[in-house]
Amino acid sequence: MSEVLNANPTIRNASDLPSRRRQGNGQSSKTPSGLFATTVPSSAYIPDPFLPPSSDSDESSGDDDSVEPIDEQEIYDLISPISDPEHPLTLGSLSVVNLPDIHLTPTFPEKGSASPLTTLTVLITPTITHCSLATVIGLGVRVRLEQALPPRFRVDVRIKEGTHSTAEQVNRQLGDKERVAAALENGTLLGVLRKMLEGCENLET
Amino acid sequence: MSDVQRYLLTVGPDRGKALDIAQDTAKRLESQQTSLIEVVQSLGEFINDEDATIRARTIDYLSQVVGQLPPTFLSRQQIQVLCQFLCDRIEDGGAIGGLRKLQGLGRFNQEMAITTFRALLEHFQDLQLRPQAQRLQILELLNDLMSKHRNALKDLGDQSVVGITDLVSGEKDPRNLMIVFSVLKVVMVEWEISGHAETLFDSVFCYFPITFRPPPDDPYGITAQDLKSRLRDCIAASSYFAPYAFPQLIDKLDSTSPNVKKDVLQTISACARTYSISTLSSYSVTLWDSIKFEILNVQEEDLAEEALVSLQAIAIRLSQGTESTDLKTPIARFLRPITKECNGQLREPQHKQAKPVGQILSALGIASPVAFFLIVKAVIPPLNTLYQDADGIGKQRALLEVLVQLLDSAIAVYGTPSIPAPTSTIENPLVPFKDRLFELSSQALMSTAADEVSFRVVALKALLKLCLLRKYLQNNEIGMAVQYFDEIVLLEDPSGKDDLKKEAIQALVELSKIKPDLIMNITFPAFMAKLPYSSPANNQDYLITLEGLAQLSVERFVSDTLIRRLLNRLDAVLQNDGSSAYPQAILSTLHYVLSQRDLPQDPNLQSYHEKLVVGLINRVVLASIGQNPMTALNEDTTLEILGRIATMIIRALDEHKQKSVALQVYSLFAEEGTFIPVPFRKDTPRLQRSTMILSTSLMAGVGKSMALQYTDVDNGSIQRLLAELVRLALAESVPPIRRTILRQIGLITNKFLPAQETKDVFDYLRNLISGLQETTTLSDNAVRVVFWEAKGLVLRLAQIEEVLSRLLWLLSDHSCGVASARGFGLLLAPDEIISKENGANIRLLAKQKVFNICIPIIAKDFRNAETSIKPNYLIALSGILKYTPTEVIMQELDILLPLLLQSLDLEDSDVKAATIQSLSIISQESPKAVEGHMGSLVSRLLKAASDPKTNSTSVRHNALRCLRVFPGRVKDSTLLPYKNTVVRGLLGVLDDPKRGVRKEAVECRAAWINMDEPQSE
Repeated sequence: MSEVLNANPTIRNASDLPSRRRQGNGQSSKTPSGLFATTVPSSAYIPDPFLPPSSDSDESSGDDDSVEPIDEQEIYDLISPISDPEHPLTLGSLSVVNLPDIHLTPTFPEKGSASPLTTLTVLITPTITHCSLATVIGLGVRVRLEQALPPRFRVDVRIKEGTHSTAEQVNRQLGDKERVAAALENGTLLGVLRKMLEGCENLET
Repeated sequence: MSDVQRYLLTVGPDRGKALDIAQDTAKRLESQQTSLIEVVQSLGEFINDEDATIRARTIDYLSQVVGQLPPTFLSRQQIQVLCQFLCDRIEDGGAIGGLRKLQGLGRFNQEMAITTFRALLEHFQDLQLRPQAQRLQILELLNDLMSKHRNALKDLGDQSVVGITDLVSGEKDPRNLMIVFSVLKVVMVEWEISGHAETLFDSVFCYFPITFRPPPDDPYGITAQDLKSRLRDCIAASSYFAPYAFPQLIDKLDSTSPNVKKDVLQTISACARTYSISTLSSYSVTLWDSIKFEILNVQEEDLAEEALVSLQAIAIRLSQGTESTDLKTPIARFLRPITKECNGQLREPQHKQAKPVGQILSALGIASPVAFFLIVKAVIPPLNTLYQDADGIGKQRALLEVLVQLLDSAIAVYGTPSIPAPTSTIENPLVPFKDRLFELSSQALMSTAADEVSFRVVALKALLKLCLLRKYLQNNEIGMAVQYFDEIVLLEDPSGKDDLKKEAIQALVELSKIKPDLIMNITFPAFMAKLPYSSPANNQDYLITLEGLAQLSVERFVSDTLIRRLLNRLDAVLQNDGSSAYPQAILSTLHYVLSQRDLPQDPNLQSYHEKLVVGLINRVVLASIGQNPMTALNEDTTLEILGRIATMIIRALDEHKQKSVALQVYSLFAEEGTFIPVPFRKDTPRLQRSTMILSTSLMAGVGKSMALQYTDVDNGSIQRLLAELVRLALAESVPPIRRTILRQIGLITNKFLPAQETKDVFDYLRNLISGLQETTTLSDNAVRVVFWEAKGLVLRLAQIEEVLSRLLWLLSDHSCGVASARGFGLLLAPDEIISKENGANIRLLAKQKVFNICIPIIAKDFRNAETSIKPNYLIALSGILKYTPTEVIMQELDILLPLLLQSLDLEDSDVKAATIQSLSIISQESPKAVEGHMGSLVSRLLKAASDPKTNSTSVRHNALRCLRVFPGRVKDSTLLPYKNTVVRGLLGVLDDPKRGVRKEAVECRAAWINMDEPQSE
């Protein structure tokens, strides 16, 4: 990485990136306003210890029944904080990964079981068409998703059509399980990948 | 034996004693029992000894004697002789010490200083071959001469410059270098050095960059930072250094080490602050060309910051003393290439390198009014054109952001109406652009599609800054901005995206501080008009309006008006039917506004009391007996809000008023013969029983010394009232009313009961408890009464051991054991009524005491208990731990850990969640303690994280959090055997139905996967 390949890429503003809150169906706005919540001491919310837990009627037990399926936004949230190997910027803000380029397809849609086999396709858009780091970025996305998704997902990471000069070659590399496994044996590469994925861990806490 | 002989014999084995001998000699000199000549002569035979050690010790003896003499004892001649004597033998150890003492004497003159200095130069050309300690001594002598006899050395001119630089060159020890740097700095600043600039510069710059790292135990207390700053002072000491310093510094900026780069940038800043303006000016553009790379191609945030500081330092220095906006001044010449580069970058405003442009311009703009003027003149017109021609909102937003940053520096330079900045003769250069900027940001804010939130947020910021800028917008223009902000708060589609609304309210709050009249005249009426007169169905838009009003009422007269108008509106709303949420929100607003005021000092306190406390409570009471129509006020939830307001106001009242409130806690200000208080009465209707909620809050507000109704002299004792409340509580089945009566029991026991009566109340409690154990069918209510009363006693540490041991007995009871176990969660729980603010007796040690008393008993009884009641002990334990400070918990880990592990097997999800919480804290604070239990912890936590059917969301969530604590804290060798189990075990959790749990699982799994990998770098 001695020379920066694309020194001046276009950057998207963090607040413009797709997020769950923005798509929201207004769920959160129904709870009483934040300002006046401060007038009620927090101790007022401590449940009566004498009531057995099963009967507690607050919203958490009601919530427990609803299922929140893994959706495109969740996939996006998993991979957009990965940092670019060249810039201290995230793949999301560089528009390398984009919400519309994430596709979830149930493998057997007609069966309709609760946790169906699903194919996940992520198309990545390199910042410039001759970016030699596209493979590394693809690998990073792939590793992240394989660590973070349950086994019923088949992960397919590809370069978006028409965005890279050697897309086919890169796709072949990313799709080849053995080559991916071999790449992960490489210490230097692993170091680069770990650095890229570092950003994902800190975000949560 | 002469003194010197004795000295020589003793100094080896016992230096202290030897020093006494020297002191002896000094005393005898002082009392003239001996003379200086005799002393010097006595050295004769040793001073030429072949053994260097003996020679050194002999001279040392003389030095010690001189050191013990009073400062004015030696005559000038004597000093002269001694000085010459020591200089001749300067290479013998001890002479330097003697000279240091001599030069400190008042009669030591310039000539002698020069003699000494020359002797140093002459004899120590091989200084670096000598041991560190000796070098240090020599350098200290030099430093002494430098501070005491500076002019003498200065008069030597070139001789001393060359001499000193030669003497110290090649020094490597950090302790010595600290002195070298400070000596050299004096030369650099005070000597005429034009002919030796390069030599001097090289003598210090060869140490740059400092890479010293103190040894681990750091015996000298010198840090790299100490050395760096002394060295930096040297480099920045003289303008003559510029031709050498800047090229080399710029060269070193190419280093790959961020630390070196940071050092370089800080040194450049230091030079910029001290070098002369003309010198700095000839390098300023070169400096910009090198430094800009760090900012435009930012790799590390803090380096970019540092680079901005350097640029700013240059700009500050170059504009010193000038108010001229001429384009030929040093500052103008410095800024020209910068503004040109920035204007160029702004053509592609969304690119990475355009991002720092705003920061550069803003950092430089703050530097001085002149700099700001020049920047604005150069940047604003093209910025305006670019903005007009921009082919997308993304670009416009990026440009607006630059404008906002420029406005920030405008405010720093010209101030706001409330914070004036230092005056300058330079007119604010933004003035000619006023109309355009106002129009541009207004349009961006108000004429853009509603869903371009982030763009509009920036526009709003720009508009706000324009309003805040001192002496800029006209009042009517600010008024228009206020209207825009109002509109955003009130009219915008409230679907989810409330970022803009929040910003708008914040902007109005800012403006209310400088233009309260505009807020009063424009915002207030607009907001009030938006508040409906009856509860709207299915719509909570009023919340935003109320929130806005509440936050805007910072000024007293604003909040007075608001309180009055809200009360009127509440009146109107209560007359119409509808959801009680709206009147409750109005009450909450009143509560918030009052809570922001300093009530005890508020001149309107009395009227608040009459209108809000007495007035509203009256309405409730009259409605409860059917004399007034029922309203939303009579609902239990509304009563609790009203109660909080009442408590707050009453707490602020003076003692006299509180007394009268205390006597009406149950009659609730009702006229006699209308409302009959709830206590001491049978079959009271539910509506009237609800008023007990108000009684509780009145009681909470009055001081602890007040006599409550029914406990004053004529009416009976506190204990009689307590017994009556117990009767009411036992019979009560409506949860909120029951809870408020129980709280009264706790509050009275804790706050109003005199200390001497706690014993009686304890006896009463003991009877209640034995009653519980005898009968098998006693209601849960009795257990509640027992624990609330116990809470009152425990918090004030009254009869605490007896109370707790009685409560612990209950755990083994088959009928009430479970309820009692849960009751332990109540004892230490914070409570809004029994609180410090309400004057409750809460002793600091209560939590620790409860813990220390209960834990050993629980541990012991748990072991001996039947299987069926074992869980009771664990539930009680979790209730106590929930509120015990971590430090206290940590003291008893050995007892606690086995119990906690067993708690994880319970089904009760509250207890499980609390237990996992405790375990997380323990693992975080004291990872060693859990090492031995890793196997059972991992398997239990995995189980708790998995099965969504038996484990609640929070249990699963907490279990994952706890599991994630281990990697990095617990030794890898302990964790490794479980790595595969965890990584595989979490696969299933990655498919948890809840998003939050999955997220936690992903993080937890990543932590375990990466745990034994070597940390990068």
